[in-house]
Amino acid sequence: MPAPSLLSAQNLRYTPPGATAPVLDGISVSVATGDLIDVTGPSGAGKTTLLRAFARLLPNASCALALDDVPAADIPPREWRTRVALLPQVTSLQQGTIRQNLLLPWTLAIRTAESPPDDAQLTASLEGIGLGDLALDRDTARLSVGQAARISLLRVVLTRPEVLLLDEPDANLDDDSAAQVATLTQRFVADGGAVVRVRHLRRDGAATRRVRIESGSLVEVTPT
Amino acid sequence: MTGSPGTDAGVILIGWQQLLLATGFVVFVGVLSLRLSLGIEKSLAIATLRTFVQLTALGLVLRWVFGVDSPWLVLGILALMMAAAAHTIVRRSPDAPPGIFASSLFTMLLTGFTVTFAVTGLIVQVEPWYLPRYVIPIAGMVLGNSMNGVALALERTFADMDQRSGEILALTALGASPWEAAGDSIRVAIRAGLIPTINSMAAAGVVFIPGMMTGQILAGADPVAATGYQIVVMLMVSAATAMGSVLAVLLSYRKRFSADGVFLEKGYRPDTR
Repeated sequence: MPAPSLLSAQNLRYTPPGATAPVLDGISVSVATGDLIDVTGPSGAGKTTLLRAFARLLPNASCALALDDVPAADIPPREWRTRVALLPQVTSLQQGTIRQNLLLPWTLAIRTAESPPDDAQLTASLEGIGLGDLALDRDTARLSVGQAARISLLRVVLTRPEVLLLDEPDANLDDDSAAQVATLTQRFVADGGAVVRVRHLRRDGAATRRVRIESGSLVEVTPT
Repeated sequence: MTGSPGTDAGVILIGWQQLLLATGFVVFVGVLSLRLSLGIEKSLAIATLRTFVQLTALGLVLRWVFGVDSPWLVLGILALMMAAAAHTIVRRSPDAPPGIFASSLFTMLLTGFTVTFAVTGLIVQVEPWYLPRYVIPIAGMVLGNSMNGVALALERTFADMDQRSGEILALTALGASPWEAAGDSIRVAIRAGLIPTINSMAAAGVVFIPGMMTGQILAGADPVAATGYQIVVMLMVSAATAMGSVLAVLLSYRKRFSADGVFLEKGYRPDTR
C-alpha cells in the first residue's frame, strides 16, 4: 500500500517557446511525506524545468498538479509556492545582513499573518548547519560560496514548506558544506516534509528514491 | 531678401547668408570625417538636411496654426506630438515586452495634457485657453523632457529585471508577488529616469542658460522677466518627468510576468523581444 500522495503531477508536458520537441513529455509522479527523491539525468534533460513546474514557476506548462489531493486550480499560485518551495540552483542573497536575509520571507505580503522567528531561533538554526560562528549581523557580501548556499537553504527551510524542491543544492560546495546541506535536508524530511532534489554527480546515500529523466520521460531507478 | 541681417522688433533675423555660413561648418566636419574615416559623413548629411526640412516645416506649420486659431487644431497637434513621443519611447526600449506602446501613449496623454494646461491655464493664464503661441511650445518642452525620462525609466526597468532574473526567481519562489519581486528594479529605474532632470535643475543658471530663457533673451525679453517663465517651466517639466516615469513603469512592469506571477526570463518568453 503506497503512502498517501502529498504532491502529485499527472501528464506534465512542456515545450519551450520556439522549440519543436517537448522537454517534458507526459511525466506523472507522486511525492509522499517522508520521500527524499533524487532526480538525475543528462545536462539539459529538463531536471530544473521539472522542479519549476512543481513550484508552478513554469509558464505555459501543461499539467494537472495537486497538493494534498487539492487541485492546483483551487490554490492561488503564491500560496502554492509557500507550500511547495523551490530553491533555485543559483544562490541569490540580498544585500544586507544574515538576519535580514533569513527574515526576508516574512517581509512579503503572503506571510503578514505569520510571526517571523526571533533571534534565538535564528541563531540556533545557524548552529544546526555548522554556521554557529556567524553573527546575525554579518553582511552577506562577506560570506563564502558554501556559507551563502547554506544560508539560502536555511532561509527556505525556516518558512516550513511541505515540499522542498532543491536544484543542485550542493553543486560547487566543498565536502564539509555538502554534508551540512545533506544533514539539514534529511532533518527536514524527518520533521514531516518531502524533498525533490536535482543531483548531478555526488551520491550521499540520503535519497529514499531515485528517478531519471530520459528524453522527456521519468524512469524509476531501482535501488542496487 | 537682403544679404545683411535684418531686424524685426529688436530681433535679429537670420538670412540665407547666415544659414550658408552655418552649413559651411557642417561641411567642414564632413570633410574631417572623410579624412579621418569616421564614417559619419552620410548620417551627418542626412541629419543636416532633416534639420533644414523639419524646422522649416515646423515654422510654416506653426505660422499656419497661429493664424487658424482653432482649439481643435491645437488639440490635434498635441495628440500627434504625444503619439510620436510614445513611438520614440517604444523604439528606445528594445528589452521591453510588446504592448508598451499603449501604456506609453496613455502616460504621455495624461502627463502631457495635465502639466501643459496646468502651466498655461493656472500659472501663465493664457486667454483663450488654447492660445497656440503658448500651448504648443510649452507642450513640446513638457513632452520632450518627460519622454526622455520615461524612455530611460522603461529601458532600465526591463534591463534591470533581466539582469536580476535569478533574484526575481528566488523571491517569487518564496511567495513574492510581481510587485515585491520587481520592486528593486522599479525603484532603480524610476530614480534613473529622474536623475537627468534633477541634475539639469541643479545646474541651471550656473553651467548653462536653459533653452526657453535663451530664446526669450535672444527675442529681446528682459532677463529677469524670462527667469520667471523658466522657473515655472523647469518645475513643471520635472513634475511631468516624475509623473510620467512612475506611471509608465507601474503600467508596464507587470507585462514581463505571466498571469501566475512568474517572471518571464529569456527563454521563457513567447515573443522573441
